Order: sequence, then C-alpha cells, then structure tokens
Amino acid sequence: MLRYTLKRILTGILALFVLACVTFFLVRLMPGSPFQTGSVSEQVVEAVEREYGLDRPLPEQFMTYMGNLLRGDLGVSYEDPGVKVTDIIGRTWRITASLGVPALILAILAGTFFGILRAVSRRRIVRETISAVGMILAGIPGFAVAILLLLLFSVQLRLLPASGLLTPAHYILPVTSLAVYPAAVITRLTGNALEAEMEKDYVLFARAKGLGRKRIIFTHALKNAWRPVLNYIGPASAFLLTGSFVVESIFTIPGIGREFVNSITNRDYTLIMGLTVFMGAVVIGVNLVTDLLGAWLDPAVRRAYQEEAG
Amino acid sequence: MKILKKTSGDRVCIGAGVRRCRRNENSRKLRQRGKRAASLILSMLLLCTAALTGCSGAGGGGSTGAESGEKAITVAINSETGTMDPAGSIALTYLAYSVSALDELLTFDENGEIEYRAAESYEVNEDSTVWTFHLREDALWSDGTPVTSADFLNTITRALDPVSGSGYANYLFPIENAEAIYNGEAEMDTLGVETPDDHTLTFRLAEPCVYFLDLLRLPVYTPSCERYADSPDSGWDTDPETSLANGPFCLTEYVPDQYFVLEKNENYWDKDRIHLERITYRFFDDTQSMANAYQAGEVDVATSLPSTVMELYDGQDNLLVTDLIATRYIYFNLNVEPLDDVRVREAVNLAVNREELCQIVGTDTEPTYNLIAKYMKDKETGEYFVDGTEQPFEENVERARELLAEAGYPNGEGFPTLTYSYPTLEMDSDTAQVIQEQLKENLNINIELNAQELQSNYSSRYAGNFDMIRMNWTADFADPYTYLSMLLSNSTYNCSGIRDAEYDALVEQSSSESDPAKRAELMHQAEQLAVGEQFYIMPLYAMKSVNLVNPKITGIRQIPASGALEYRYADIG
Repeated sequence: MLRYTLKRILTGILALFVLACVTFFLVRLMPGSPFQTGSVSEQVVEAVEREYGLDRPLPEQFMTYMGNLLRGDLGVSYEDPGVKVTDIIGRTWRITASLGVPALILAILAGTFFGILRAVSRRRIVRETISAVGMILAGIPGFAVAILLLLLFSVQLRLLPASGLLTPAHYILPVTSLAVYPAAVITRLTGNALEAEMEKDYVLFARAKGLGRKRIIFTHALKNAWRPVLNYIGPASAFLLTGSFVVESIFTIPGIGREFVNSITNRDYTLIMGLTVFMGAVVIGVNLVTDLLGAWLDPAVRRAYQEEAG
Repeated sequence: MKILKKTSGDRVCIGAGVRRCRRNENSRKLRQRGKRAASLILSMLLLCTAALTGCSGAGGGGSTGAESGEKAITVAINSETGTMDPAGSIALTYLAYSVSALDELLTFDENGEIEYRAAESYEVNEDSTVWTFHLREDALWSDGTPVTSADFLNTITRALDPVSGSGYANYLFPIENAEAIYNGEAEMDTLGVETPDDHTLTFRLAEPCVYFLDLLRLPVYTPSCERYADSPDSGWDTDPETSLANGPFCLTEYVPDQYFVLEKNENYWDKDRIHLERITYRFFDDTQSMANAYQAGEVDVATSLPSTVMELYDGQDNLLVTDLIATRYIYFNLNVEPLDDVRVREAVNLAVNREELCQIVGTDTEPTYNLIAKYMKDKETGEYFVDGTEQPFEENVERARELLAEAGYPNGEGFPTLTYSYPTLEMDSDTAQVIQEQLKENLNINIELNAQELQSNYSSRYAGNFDMIRMNWTADFADPYTYLSMLLSNSTYNCSGIRDAEYDALVEQSSSESDPAKRAELMHQAEQLAVGEQFYIMPLYAMKSVNLVNPKITGIRQIPASGALEYRYADIG
C-alpha cells in the first residue's frame, strides 16, 4: 500500500512538471503580448517587455521560470504589476472554494437522499418523478441552469441578488447552479446501486432475520452502494474546486475560473502558468486521495495491494 | 418598493430565502425526516460559506444607496483593468475613478466654457508656447495637506519613464524635451516644466500648440501626491491610506475584482456643491450581467449596455442614451496590392451601404463618413465639427464599379481575395458579415473573414499584419486633433503605411493656427484629403452609449470630451 501510494505521488509530480512545461511553451505561442493594449505605443510595449525579461531567448526564460517554480515563487502578474500570482490564487481560490465546498456537500446530501428515496420508496409516483427529474437535470447544461435560476429568482421575482458575493444571500443561486448536475448524477448512482444491493442475498437474509428496513438500508446496503458514488465524487470535487468559468461569469463572481479565462485574454503569462500549475495540482491531488480512499475501502483491492507489497 | 424589500436587512431574509428555495427543491411531499435533512444541509451550507469567506458580508453594494434613503449610489463598471495611477497603464478603472476623485487643472463645460478646477487662472504667451497655471491655494488632498505644483510634476516625470507603461506619455511630447527624455536621449532636468513656487506651474512647449488646454484632462497632466505616488507597481493607488484625491471624492475601500468605494472628500475646496456621500463602483465582466444587476435593483447606474436594452426599456425614464465621441473604421494596408491603388480604396468605400449596415448592427450605431467623431463639437460654434463642411464622399455603387474597372478589375474579375481582421465582439462580427456580403453583391469581390481575439487583433494591427483591419477610436480630448493625429506619418497608431507629406503639413499647420476659424478650415482640409480624396480609411459608424440610470438620481452630467457620464454633482431625489 505504501509503495503504491508513493508511486502515485511521484507520477502526480511528474504529470505536474510535464503540464508546466507544455503550458509554458503553448502560452508563448499565442499571438499578442501581455503589454499590448489598444492605447499603448510599440515603444512602451518594448520597454516594459525588456523590464520583465521577455526579450530574452525562450530557453533562458524557461530555465528562470522553472527555477523559481521549484522554490514556490510563481512571480508577479503582468496585468496587475506588483501583485504576486500566489496572492491572486489565494484570493480567487478562497472564493471558488466557498462556492464549491457547499455545492459539493449539497450535491452529496441531496443526491444520496433522493437516491435512497428512489430505490426504496414504496410509492411508484415518487420513484418515477425522481427518475424523470434527475434525468432532465443531468441533461441540462450548467450554464442553462444558472441562467434560468438567475432570470427566475433575480430578474423576475427579485428575490435573490444576481451578481457578486457581497452577502450570504448572494451564494444561494451560484451554489445551487453548481450543485444541480452532481446531485442528479449522485441520485442516479446511489439509486441504481442501492436497488441492486436490495436484491442481494444478504439483504434477504437480514430481512429474514427480522431486521428493520431502515437498519438494513443504512447500516448494510448503503455502505456497499456508495462505492460508485465515491468514484464519482473525486472528479466532481476537482471540477467544483477549480471553478466553473460559466457559473462564475454569469453571477459575476471573482473566482479562479473567471481569473483563468481573463488571464488568457490578457496574455498574463505568469498568471496563466500559476493557475494551470495550481489547478493541475488540485485535480491530481483530489484524484489521488479518492483513488487511495477507494482502494482502502474496498477489501478486495486492499488485499490485492497488501499481497503485492508483501 | 419591491427592491427595498429585497435589499434591506440582507442577513434577516437570507434564511427565509434559502428555506424557500430548499423547499421548492425538496418537493412538498417530504416527511419529517426530509425536513430534518434539509435543515441539516442548510446549516452546513451556511457554516461552510461563513467559514470560507471569513464572514465578509456587509461590503459595498448589497443594497443600493439610492433606494435606502442615504445619499449614495452604486455604479456598474466594466471589469477591473489597469492601474489607478495616472502615470501608469490606465484603462477603464482609472477612467471611472478619476472623473469622481481627481481634479484636473481646468476643463471645459458643455458650452465650451472653461471650468477651473485645480487651477484658478492661467496665462499664455503670444505664440502659445509658454503656459502658466496658478493653482488654487485652498486646494487640499483628501488627508488635508495642500496640493502643490510638485504633485503635478510628479505624474509627468514618472510617466516619461517608458517602464511606467503609460499609454498617454506621447501627449506630453509637446513639452520641450519630453520626447527626448522619454527616448532616453535627454536628462529629466531639461524638461520644459517649471514649478517656481508651490502654486505655480509653467509649461514651455517645443512648438505652438493651440489645443494644449484640451490635453489637460488626460491622466498624465493630473496630479499624484508626491509623498506616496512613487510607481504604478507599488500598490499606493489602491490603498486608501496612500491613494489621496484632490477632487470631490476619495477612495475608502478597494476590493480587487469586486468593487471600490469612494466617499465624499471633506477637504475638497468646493465641497458645498457636492451632494452625494458615497459612490460604489462594482466591477462586471459583461454588459448583460450589468443589465441583469440593474434589473434586480443591485446597481443604480449601468453604462455601455447592449443595444437590445434600448428596445427593452424604450420609452421608460430609466433609459439614458448618450452620444459616444468615437468612430469605428477600417484601415486599408497600403503595402498590400491592390489596396495601394486609391481607385480600389475609393471603390470599396463607395460600395458599402452604411445605412443598411447600421440597421443590422444595432440601433445604437449611426453611419459616418468621417474620421473625426460625428458627435465631437466645435467649441467655437457649438455645432458638431464634421457638420462644418461637406461630407467627404458619398456612397455610389455605379461609380464604385467604374472605379474598380479603371483599376483593372472590371466586374471584380482578377481581384484577389482580401482578408478582413476584426475582434470577436458581437458588433464587429455582424459588421464583418454585412460588409463581406455587400462587397460581394456590389463589386463581386471576395472578402475572407478573420475573427481574432481582441489581444491578437491589436497585435496584428501593430505588426501591420493585415489587409483590412477594424479600428475604433474614442476621443482622448475634445479636439479633432485626437483623430487627425492618428494618420500622421510618425503616429504610433498609423499602422497601415500612410506617408503623406501634404497631410502632415496641413495637420501641423493647424496645431499652431490660433485663429479658430482658420484652424477649423485647415483641419477640414486635412480630413478631406485623407478620407475624401486618398480614402486611406473606411469610416463605418458612430456609436451611442446605452445606459440605465435610476430615475431618482439627478444631476448626472456628460463629459463633453469623451461622452462618458460624470457623477460628481449628482444628487438623489
């Protein structure tokens, strides 16, 4: 298990390094300069590029950047001179996470709840409604959900604010928009898995033994049914924690997704690099944790690794 | 008031809001357990949110001031770009900030009369080369210290260092030695700016410049407090402690990416004329979000909205449509065949139907046949400057076909396919398609469309890497020179290879002509030569700005030079 973990961490670091290299050169292949705007003359652009060392040969720039990266120094933003990239990441990621974490929790709780209901409800209408609504919600793209919620609750009903994150009320619409899709998927996964579990012999045995329905579902069946959900939560949380550009721009939220797209339009080389490396690290990290967790939870997998190690 | 209910007491109604929302979602059929689960979800959500945001709450624009009875307004502005340092690389943020927070030496009102601000008088010598300004002795920075001539010099010297990234440094070049200093060929102490005492500022110009007073509203001529303003990178400009204002409002809070707050400057010399207590500017990424926020009652003013808003709010008193002092036009690359032939350029210009173009592009555009902005006023006559003479040319498809035939392409035969490069903005994409279609139909020539990201488009333009490219120019100051200078042989914006000695001479002559009527005549001649005879460019349309303004706000003015809105004398009620 330890060897497996170490191997996974090393591959993760290698992947991150490759990501940084590829991004570095791709970014510089884009036409345009970070300092070219509508109202700045060519002399100014050249002078400022010299100041930032962008007139040096590319390999030299690359070595400098990678050296700094190893020391954890991501440089300063070109667009916002004097502001460190790490500060921008810290600021914007906190905002993104303040939406992503509640959205994830909401999705897990709502998804599990409706999943169970779908699998075990005795009323057909409940089961069918949950299936149908879940199917529809899983099929509507995120931006459509966001726009619909915005139009309905802010513009038409004027119940909830439409932009920014100034008060807790501002969180409701974006968090809901983010949670809808994962909640629908989790509902389906939990529902399907639980339905299958309920057919199994051990459930029948437990029932025959006279165990209560609730007890069977919550202490036995759900534990087994949750494994596919866990596999899904890994990528889903990586997605929620790296920020949805669409939701962030619809609700004018200064999160990391929006910052990423802006940094590309501004050709803010250091910021693009910093954000890519950071998001890459988050995705790789989250996937690593869920893989390890999944392996550890599954007795069969766990045993396989133990044998391999031993 | 509907908005009032929603926005006042945010914290109290949130719970209700979440619950209502949750209730919808969980469906009514939930039993008790469901309710317990829902309340658990709710409390966890709020807990997480509060923990992660550090309970930031409160802030600037939760409720708009105009609705809560306080004399405060919230203004939606375009996303944060550029610094607030007048000597740095400024963009939209500075423009919004400066009109409320900074006093230039003097400015012009809508009647073309001088309105003295930081200065109380000025003198100029016979040949318009030495300009002396006497600063107001009672003018104070927002921390109560006096505004001195050294503060004006501070911005100028810093902007003359190319590393500052100032896009306006070239407007300092009329000053003696400024250009040489900028290019590193002269020392700073040779600069033609003198500060004989704290309240006197003298500019010595290299050549006569009759429009010098119009330049004074530009950032590089605006003061920055010499005690704090050291470099565009040091962050002094966004720190309320060091970001001092000499105008009616001063910075009290700045939250990157979200908003900034200006409050009334109690040390302002003219504070009795100022009614608002606070202006909050909130950043928005796109204009549709701005319109939504206005509709949801989150902002009092939203500017430069899409033209669809004009139809949506038609006839309502929220809608305020203003003239933009801007021209959208196309550069022909004169180094590319057959665009080096004036007959071809004329043919293309004459074959486009601008009325039809504007109908398709949007109700906020109007055809123009000039380089100089259609809505720029002549300060002498009070009329639109371009109306002072005949239209440079008239559209005529027949004549266009003849010209094309004369140039060797009868019915477009043998005419190479030209590429038109434009940024991927909606308006420009629509324009490109209409022009492509019209030229195909009227002249039987093919235009290939090349939509580029804005930054790539700038880059192609600077590099001269295009056949035809879209250009937009918004006036920097209220004089036609801001347009005419674009096509001078040595202009940094002249990227299409225009080298016309006759044109350069006319424009130069106009800069030193002190008789306004004669000067206007020279400028009309120059424009006629460039647009109506040589057809160096293809003018397309002038634009209007669509704004939504809370009808309770009074006293919003339009800055004559740029057409932008100014809130310094605004009031509520």
